[in-house]
Amino acid sequence: MLLTEQEKVREFVSRLAKKHDNQRSALIPILRAIQDEYSYVSEFAMQYVGDLLGVHAAQVYSVATFYHFFNTKPKGKFIIRLSRDMSSIMKGAKVIARQLENDLGIKFGETTPDGMFTLGWTSCIGMNYHAPAMLVNNEIYSSLTPQRVHLILEECREGLRSRRPATSRVGSTFTNELTYTEHQDDAGLKKALAMSPSELINEVIASGIRGRGGAGFPTGVKWKLAAEAASDVKYIICNADEGEPGTFKDRIILTQYANLLFEGMTIAAYAVGAREGIVYLRAEYTYIKMLLEEILRGRRTEKQLGSAIFGKEGFDFDIRIHMGAGAYVCGEETALIESLEGHRGEPRNRPPYPVVSGFHGKPTVVNNVETLASVSVILDRGAKWFASIGTERSKGFKLFSVSGDCSRPGVYELPWGTTVNELLDLVGGEDAKAVQVGGYSGALLPASEFNRKLAYEDLGMGGSVIVYGAQRDLLEVAENYLEFFVEESCGQCTPCRDGNVKLLEGVRTLLGGRCSSRHLNELISLSKTIQVASKCGLGQSSPKVLLAVNEHFKDEIMARPIAASH
Amino acid sequence: MPKSSAQVDSLCRQAQDPAHAAGAAVANPINLTIDDIPVAVPEGSTILQAASVAGLRIPTLCNHPDLRAGGHCRVCVVEIVGQRGLHAACTYPATPGLKVVTSSPSVRKARRHVIDLLLANHYGECNTCSRNRNCELQSLAREYGVDAFRFGQPAAPRHAIDHTSASIVRDMNKCVLCRRCVRTCNELQDVGCLAIEGRGAKSHITTFGDKPLASVVCISCGQCINRCPTGALSEADQTDEIWAMLDDPSKHVVIQTAPSPRAAIGECFGLPPGTALTFEMNTAIKRIGFDAVFDTNFSADLTIIEEGTELLQRLHGALVRQDPEVRLPQLTSCSPGWIKYIEHFYPDQLGLLSSAKSPQQMFGSVIKTYYAEQHGIDAKDIVSVALMPCTAKKFECDRPEMADSGHKDVDFALTARELAKMVREAGIDLPHLPQSDFDDPFETPTGSGVIFGATGGVMEAALRTVIELVTGRKVEDFYENANIVPVRGIEGVRLIELPIPEVGPVPDLLRHLFDDFEWLRGATLRVGVAHGTANARKVMDDIKQGGVFSTCHFIEVMACPGGCLGGGGQPIPTSPEIRAARARAIYGEDASYEVRKSHENPQIARIYQEFLKEGPGGHKAHELLHTTYTPRGKFIS
Repeated sequence: MLLTEQEKVREFVSRLAKKHDNQRSALIPILRAIQDEYSYVSEFAMQYVGDLLGVHAAQVYSVATFYHFFNTKPKGKFIIRLSRDMSSIMKGAKVIARQLENDLGIKFGETTPDGMFTLGWTSCIGMNYHAPAMLVNNEIYSSLTPQRVHLILEECREGLRSRRPATSRVGSTFTNELTYTEHQDDAGLKKALAMSPSELINEVIASGIRGRGGAGFPTGVKWKLAAEAASDVKYIICNADEGEPGTFKDRIILTQYANLLFEGMTIAAYAVGAREGIVYLRAEYTYIKMLLEEILRGRRTEKQLGSAIFGKEGFDFDIRIHMGAGAYVCGEETALIESLEGHRGEPRNRPPYPVVSGFHGKPTVVNNVETLASVSVILDRGAKWFASIGTERSKGFKLFSVSGDCSRPGVYELPWGTTVNELLDLVGGEDAKAVQVGGYSGALLPASEFNRKLAYEDLGMGGSVIVYGAQRDLLEVAENYLEFFVEESCGQCTPCRDGNVKLLEGVRTLLGGRCSSRHLNELISLSKTIQVASKCGLGQSSPKVLLAVNEHFKDEIMARPIAASH
Repeated sequence: MPKSSAQVDSLCRQAQDPAHAAGAAVANPINLTIDDIPVAVPEGSTILQAASVAGLRIPTLCNHPDLRAGGHCRVCVVEIVGQRGLHAACTYPATPGLKVVTSSPSVRKARRHVIDLLLANHYGECNTCSRNRNCELQSLAREYGVDAFRFGQPAAPRHAIDHTSASIVRDMNKCVLCRRCVRTCNELQDVGCLAIEGRGAKSHITTFGDKPLASVVCISCGQCINRCPTGALSEADQTDEIWAMLDDPSKHVVIQTAPSPRAAIGECFGLPPGTALTFEMNTAIKRIGFDAVFDTNFSADLTIIEEGTELLQRLHGALVRQDPEVRLPQLTSCSPGWIKYIEHFYPDQLGLLSSAKSPQQMFGSVIKTYYAEQHGIDAKDIVSVALMPCTAKKFECDRPEMADSGHKDVDFALTARELAKMVREAGIDLPHLPQSDFDDPFETPTGSGVIFGATGGVMEAALRTVIELVTGRKVEDFYENANIVPVRGIEGVRLIELPIPEVGPVPDLLRHLFDDFEWLRGATLRVGVAHGTANARKVMDDIKQGGVFSTCHFIEVMACPGGCLGGGGQPIPTSPEIRAARARAIYGEDASYEVRKSHENPQIARIYQEFLKEGPGGHKAHELLHTTYTPRGKFIS
């Protein structure tokens, strides 16, 4: 690098660091900004950032190489990331992949010699109902066909997209009537501010709402714990790292009902006594960021954020957006907090839990997008109303993202307790052979279990439903899932890092028709170890698909005809 | 002078060893049961610590007593009654009423699987590994009945071995990703050379930009080697080169031995830590074939004289001449890891370093000049070896400026582990050897030299000499048995004030430099001690900010926790207890010697009479015994 170029980088990075008060927690936003400017983060830039933030250069490097959206080497001007989620694969992503390779003359993982295009796979980008889909830099292209690929590449080549800000052209989706559409802006917040924080928390507890991200922890109890934690500083974090393959309901909320989300965060802040809220938005949703910033600006102008919100003296709260950088595991709340603090997104040891010691060691509430949006509705209509919907242990309504082999993929609001069969009728998936409920980390159900209920009593879940038609090869499904988990494992604990690789190798052996029963038994035994011994939910869930395929579809997986490709 | 004892206290507190005091009577104990055994432990304990109180052993791999618990490897998983899944005992807090099961079918299966998986990614043949029979992975495989590679084993290496460093070899094919080296390098030492690159199965331990170790900010301290459970990290082994020299009849091969290895080498032969084998080791060295064995204590004493003189000169310059060029506090320069650290991270502060060479290098230039002259040996035929507790000494002796004798001053720096290897290879039963003395002309063992091995030791040795030279009285008049206890201890950062009780006439040794010591009358000497470079960083930042340490006159800094006895070339494993035992051996040896002050070492008097005739700080001393430093900075191109 020429000295003058280095001087420019130095000046650029200094300005960024200064803007963030040289805080380590700004490391990821700073690296993103450098990459936006220079298309990659150079070794010099990493060292200089480290110097300014008081972080060892090797640690900056370690963080940068953890996240898929950072390049430490120059890449193409247009980075194409084709989604490899099962919905995309089922709708022909591999054909799109071949066309991309043919048209660009490169393989996946490579950059064209002219430095224009880099081609790569990425995990689910939340476009499952318009699959196959891909990102070109920050912009979404969905419902791809080989012919469209050519047009998109030509558009890029003509430079039409080089400097245009990313917009969301994500198309509409099938849906039913959503409760959110009837919500009056801030109706819930206004009622909340008329209560004391403890009354408010009791109302949320009474509603019975549980975390919509998938784990299902009672939201009111989480708030109560955070409210009771002794600290002057507390945080409300919205987990908008919607990475579970097959889920896109949070994206619908973020693009269409963001006000409900921000209202919910403000209610949560009032309940626990927080002054700062952070939306951790996944890198794949960068195109939504501007929209959210605009809404936040409006809320500040309208005194819905800032100091003395709605005239409530002493209630000050503001929200900022913090971008992720491409890591599924950051959906795990402690990994998310690590990422927010500028570290690798590796889950922490628990206890302590974030409500006691979270962001910067302070009590922190981490809630899913849908949880927070629903809280706004609950406060408006009352806990009683909400609790009247659903089942004994699963109160209220829930959004489901449905994709795969069905005629009406989309986002559906249903009361808890709906059976899988009822859902399939609604979305046009009656011929399903199997259904994946709760994303890749959820349950793979055979048709014999379609009478089961979507409810914490039976099938607790985050919201992703993927339908598999009669012709689908579930061993290929298992291979796709395990490829995903191997790709997304943070790598800190042995069972998840190394165990999932062994499971994937095993599935490939099965696909090739070369697996002994003894080895299959060993893989099943290992699966159970990975489930109990892994540090976080990723490893605790990743083997489920192999266990399910082995349990329900054994005759499909044993002694298969030898396939040429394996 | 500004003084804030609260500030010092807080610095010292932060730096304290977090070693856990389980087992002691506790005020508000947490009561739990482990395998039906009731245990009471203090709040903040983990299940692992509670189990050890109960006398139960839970296997571990990524855990290390010097490091923050990681919960990475999952070897230590246990069942907690009423909770789903298994939990890492090393991180799970002991909470009231907890019922823990440390050995159940699910636990045993999980442990076995974890070991199977680690072995499936571990490329390396035990028989040829430097850690054979001293490897935690090997031990786990044995203890947990691993009788087959259930998930295979790598057929070929996946990583090239990094041999670029003079001190440390990295063979990532043997790495089990326990991250102990990363925590050592970043948290314990705050060097920040090692880090994890990538994620998932592709993650691996590397340096900034995946560069070779010789190109990055590695300070060669070797603390990562001491904490590596396998052979992934080891010293650059030079034993074959030394054997070749020993086998060459034209070479005169001599060795100097530093104080710390002798207090630790017994550990390589099954003896408990803290067994001093000084004179047995001399016998072994002679049987191996070295022509002479010298005691590095001689040059440690020489260092004290030169460094102490420099300190008095700097004090005189600052207090009397009020020379703005004179920089204080003077920082010690005997730890080569520390030297490289300050060159990388505080290149603008090199002026604070004493210009005195380390004892290893002083001895090196003395051997190839004075010793060569006295014995009529051509210096080019001398092979000068140094037995050190240290891996950074290998880097140090390779520094291009270390050739003041006209030759490479020290040819090889050998770690305690390498010597143990040579002893074994020669078929010598070290613990049962007769004793031998050191060779002429550097034969007097001194206590002041021995205590160089422990943190605070250089300071204590310097103070014994400075106090006597300045006051003209015995240090025993002020400190019982000449033990300057205030500078001893394990706290990572210490600050001590020592009033100079009186001043006497200038002794002969220093008369060429000072007319009198009246200017020191009533003065208080402020000295600091720091060990481990993370603590050194605290001190350096404090100095830069004008804090309490900037008001010190003299600060001893050692790169390694515990000082040299915890050096990166010492036997593996290490722990606070092991280092404490080695320290006891060192102070025991000090107390047993007749000569315990550098200036009373008769060989020191002799070398100034016969060879360094202009005295301490004189022209020849400067030429042979002092050095310069290189501002390296931390940016890598």
